[in-house]
Amino acid sequence: MSPAKDRPPEPPEQPGWEHPTNGLDETVHQRHRLGILTITDEAQRAEFGYLREALGLTPGNLSKHLTVLEQAGMVEVEKGYAGRRPRTWVRITSQGRAALAAELATLTELLRRHTPARDA
Amino acid sequence: MSDDESDPARNEPSEASDGAALLADMKALRRRARTARHAYWFPLVLFGLLTCASVPFYVLPGPPAGGTEAVSGGPSLPVLGGFAGFTVQHFLGYYWLAALLGGLLLTLLWYRWNARRVGLATPARGYVVTTAVLTVLALVIPLLSQVRSPRWLSWLQQLSVLWPGDLILRGTFPFLIIAAGLWVLAWAERSRALTVIAAAYTATALLASLYNIENVLFRLGWNPSGNDWSLTALPNVLLPAFVLLATGAGAFAVQRPHRARP
Repeated sequence: MSPAKDRPPEPPEQPGWEHPTNGLDETVHQRHRLGILTITDEAQRAEFGYLREALGLTPGNLSKHLTVLEQAGMVEVEKGYAGRRPRTWVRITSQGRAALAAELATLTELLRRHTPARDA
Repeated sequence: MSDDESDPARNEPSEASDGAALLADMKALRRRARTARHAYWFPLVLFGLLTCASVPFYVLPGPPAGGTEAVSGGPSLPVLGGFAGFTVQHFLGYYWLAALLGGLLLTLLWYRWNARRVGLATPARGYVVTTAVLTVLALVIPLLSQVRSPRWLSWLQQLSVLWPGDLILRGTFPFLIIAAGLWVLAWAERSRALTVIAAAYTATALLASLYNIENVLFRLGWNPSGNDWSLTALPNVLLPAFVLLATGAGAFAVQRPHRARP
């Protein structure tokens, strides 16, 4: 994180102006949970092992993040077997898809607001 | 991406620079997942091989005597098998019915197997449903014109006019069904490359349906005589097959390095 003195000046607040960070969802605005939503949004469903390896998480940590997202209604977790091997599949819900889109839009807007100030 | 959950504050960027890094990370994750789940080389090669296997059904039985010979007797499937007189092999329609449905089943099994292997599933259901529905419609609509249906169902018989005769004349309509499926698959795979392949194959399928490609070979010097006349319908089959096999082989070469799990 860069020091505060390096920050570009914030645009002056206007009536009705809202800082883009106000739109950030605490459940989604976490790197690994955002990664889970991004991968499951790309595929119809993602297997636990793929998510663990792609995100560099331990099984325990991935389970914790999945529990947070599942309790928020953003993903659905399906447990099954492939032969004798247990498999856990994660599927994004419409709510999760909407939250992901909102988060990415907020981040993009945040970036857009800061980029011109740096160029100036 | 490291596992630094022990300090959640580090994972919650509030700066634009962190936001840019986060967006770049998500873009990379999405690109990696998309590359890993791409598996469309299989249906391309499969339907290319099924097209090659259909070649015996397009071989004309003998030299033309005032045109190609027509077969007689027994029901045929005109939309899938073409009109007698142009495709004389009577079982072409039945071959394509079995090949399309069997190919769909194998493709569905392939995508399920690939999902288990890679850990990412591609939504192939739309592709299967689209191709299956088109195949069934191609089977059913000509039959509707032969049966006497209630008045309130007469509109179904009118659907038969939706099949332009030229497209089904040469027994190449199954290529257009395959092409329609490829467009849906390109959407499901979110692949620009497959979209380009679908466009190229559609153009080839339309050409094979509307034009006698052997005319080009005649101009290039092919002068069939005797039994060679029985092969004159084959360019219309082999060209679409070549497009599928060549692009399928290319896709296989590209997708092979990504087939290992991350």
